[in-house]
Amino acid sequence: MFHQTPARSFTLAVVLAALVAYATFGGFFAREIVIEIAILAILAISLDFVAGFGGMVSLFHGAVMGLSAYGYSVLTAKFGIHPIPAAFAGIFLAASFGAAVAAIASRTSGIFFIMATLAFGQMLYTIIFKSRWLGGDDGMGGIPRFDASWIGLDFNDSLQFAIFAVFGIAVCYGIAALLLRSAFGRTMCGIHGNEPRMRALGVSTWKHKTAAFAISSAIAGVAGVFAAQHTQYISPELLFWTVSGEVLIVVILGGLGTLVGPVLGAAIFVLLKHEVGNYTDHWHIVVGLLLIVTVMAGGRGIYGQAEHWITGRSRKARESLNA
Amino acid sequence: MSDAAFWILQLLNALQYSMLLFLLSIGLTVIFGLLHFMNLAHGALYMMGAYIGISITSATGSFWAAFFLAPLAVTAIGAVLYFTLIRRLRNAGPMNQVLVTFGLIFVFLDIVRLGWGDIALGLDAPTALQGTTKFLSVSYPTYRFFIIGLGLVVMATLMTIVSRTQIGAMIRASVENDDMAAAMGINVGRLFFAVFCVGCALAGLAGVVAAPVFSATTGMGISILIPTLIVVVIGGLGSLQGAVVGSLIVGSIETIGAAVLPGVASILIYVLLAVILVVRPAGLIPARV
Amino acid sequence: MLEVRDLCKSFGGLDVTKKVSFALEPGERRVVLGPNGAGKTTLFNLLVGELLPTSGDILINGASVTALSVDQRAMAGMSRSYQKNNLFEDFTVRENLALAAAAGLSKEKWIARDSFHDPEVREIVLDVANQVALTDILDAPVHSASYGNRRQLEVGLALATRPKILLMDEPTSGVGPGMIGAFNKLISDLPRDLTVVIIEHDLDLAFDVADRITVLNYGDVVFEGTPDETRGNQIVRDIYLGDWQADA
Repeated sequence: MFHQTPARSFTLAVVLAALVAYATFGGFFAREIVIEIAILAILAISLDFVAGFGGMVSLFHGAVMGLSAYGYSVLTAKFGIHPIPAAFAGIFLAASFGAAVAAIASRTSGIFFIMATLAFGQMLYTIIFKSRWLGGDDGMGGIPRFDASWIGLDFNDSLQFAIFAVFGIAVCYGIAALLLRSAFGRTMCGIHGNEPRMRALGVSTWKHKTAAFAISSAIAGVAGVFAAQHTQYISPELLFWTVSGEVLIVVILGGLGTLVGPVLGAAIFVLLKHEVGNYTDHWHIVVGLLLIVTVMAGGRGIYGQAEHWITGRSRKARESLNA
Repeated sequence: MSDAAFWILQLLNALQYSMLLFLLSIGLTVIFGLLHFMNLAHGALYMMGAYIGISITSATGSFWAAFFLAPLAVTAIGAVLYFTLIRRLRNAGPMNQVLVTFGLIFVFLDIVRLGWGDIALGLDAPTALQGTTKFLSVSYPTYRFFIIGLGLVVMATLMTIVSRTQIGAMIRASVENDDMAAAMGINVGRLFFAVFCVGCALAGLAGVVAAPVFSATTGMGISILIPTLIVVVIGGLGSLQGAVVGSLIVGSIETIGAAVLPGVASILIYVLLAVILVVRPAGLIPARV
Repeated sequence: MLEVRDLCKSFGGLDVTKKVSFALEPGERRVVLGPNGAGKTTLFNLLVGELLPTSGDILINGASVTALSVDQRAMAGMSRSYQKNNLFEDFTVRENLALAAAAGLSKEKWIARDSFHDPEVREIVLDVANQVALTDILDAPVHSASYGNRRQLEVGLALATRPKILLMDEPTSGVGPGMIGAFNKLISDLPRDLTVVIIEHDLDLAFDVADRITVLNYGDVVFEGTPDETRGNQIVRDIYLGDWQADA
């Protein structure tokens, strides 16, 4: 069951403040990193929503993000549609695809579900990779950012766009947290805990899981819109399985089922990636080993482990007081 | 090319690809059926088989040395994984298994890039199998006939072992109910390890025999993993007959689809997967009733 | 209220439920007795839809529910407890009850409001916690609760959906004599308009709470009658009494 504890709020505030400070006082490169972190953090929030709380591990969240990015890019760059409705359309596209896959895959359990998401994610990648109209593996460019001049902002300025992206994390976190604290989210946690019993209590778990996946995919779609606006160029790489794998690793590394952990994980992951990149271009082996070690060490992740220590210690303290 | 020749060629291509899929999916599905372990790194083992095979061939000058040694090397890799990770993950739930083996895909990807570089590597078919052979008026590469033959031999051998021998009976009993099998005095741990090794060896074998047809690339592991997973799901997880049927279906759809409907061929197997998940979620030939 | 007509179920040629028929009046308390393997739990699984019958019909208030899924039957007013605890182990007792209460009130899909803070849900949670004597440990995680408490919560979950028909599968399974008395009181105190079917091994409890008793043997209904008729019935004694003593 989800709890927005003071420790979680505090951690989120610290991470967001650090990102804003880094973007403000760092140079152009720092802003690029902050934007990259923000996109990954939003994607990680969307994945933790279904995987950490709904128990539905997905290996296609990267593809869903990419789908939304392509939706936004096609509408704006090819059809000249206004960025705001185009963004909503991209998010809607992502949600619909997520819902369709979940509706099919939720009929089966656990392992089938994961395999189905991997397969359908690769399907999206293949389709876009082979599509001449979408630019194939060359991708497509000329994608506009939001025009915020009406509130006196200029998102073509890297600092303003970086802060906008950090704001995006806060909004997506807020939406996810509110949904997790709603009846819908409670029920999703219940389905994760004991699906057959939830059904026996009168919940159509299949519909509920499909809806949860649609919501998660919509949040992934938000990350996609940011991704398309960030580089203003997209390629099928965005949908490749390694992207879905990396975000899963971010979630596990940060702390599955803690919501704030994945945000922290995204920041650490991107910074680490750039650090490791200074020494070697064999980043994947680091990623893979990180994932294996985290899971073998109990799978709580950085934030989850810290929370476990703290609550464990406070419980012990309470017990010794009572004794 | 005549119409008949075109179809014969397509059927041979389909059969050849199906045999590769069979070599991979049989290991994956039986390991799942027995150990309840889903090894997403199975495709990575196939890739390792191809690269190790290429190195052995260039070191010894003999494809046949690679043919026999590469599967052994992959089995050794599998054994290391078994004792370091897989045995500990047996009761850790499907999610942890998927995560760890998914992590292994990343690790193997970079191991290959470190060891062999990023460029695609080819491998020559052995001299005896170069050239083409005529079959029903169609000239077809001899080496590809060899792959088809190899697949059929492995298929027949496994079928015989599973249906006729003591070990086969033990495997079938364990797939049905491993508690029962343990109660009957079967050393389940040793049986699991043996089956896991055979699965790895077959993945390595598939890799080395595939190298002369498709060149070895760092992406080969994941690009074979997806159709293999689809084979396993549509055949029925844990089902040997399912792997046979699934391989033939997926192999045929991918190959013939690409020749007949090039526009939509790449998504046909996904459509098939979706249909099976909706209509028969347990697969065409489920392992358990 | 609840009617079963010629219900049959076979597993690969083995008939575990053979043409079972019975009808329950609204508010009736029916106890299902039978030796181990008589098909009692299978009957429950058929009633709630966890198994599909080979043939036959199940009706609630005269309307067939045979084609409905588990969740749809629950929405139609049927709720069950399980012989083996089937709870939300990682959540607190309060959260368990609130999940069930929200589902029963059809408030589980709200996306803008928290069901756990809904007054109706809270009222049911406190009410049911009181009924099953769990008020003191409402905020304890279920996995830390005693076996007896979990047995109580098992029934509590079924009650919290506010069903019209309550099916209890051996509520006293594995609990001590003291707690059997508590369950006896719990069942006796249930609102009189609630229709209840109980699978029970404890005969004192069964004869105490039952309006009527159905005896199953090898999937057949071999007897149906009042507790007094059951006590005196020779067939029941022949097929069942030996087994009781073996059980006890």
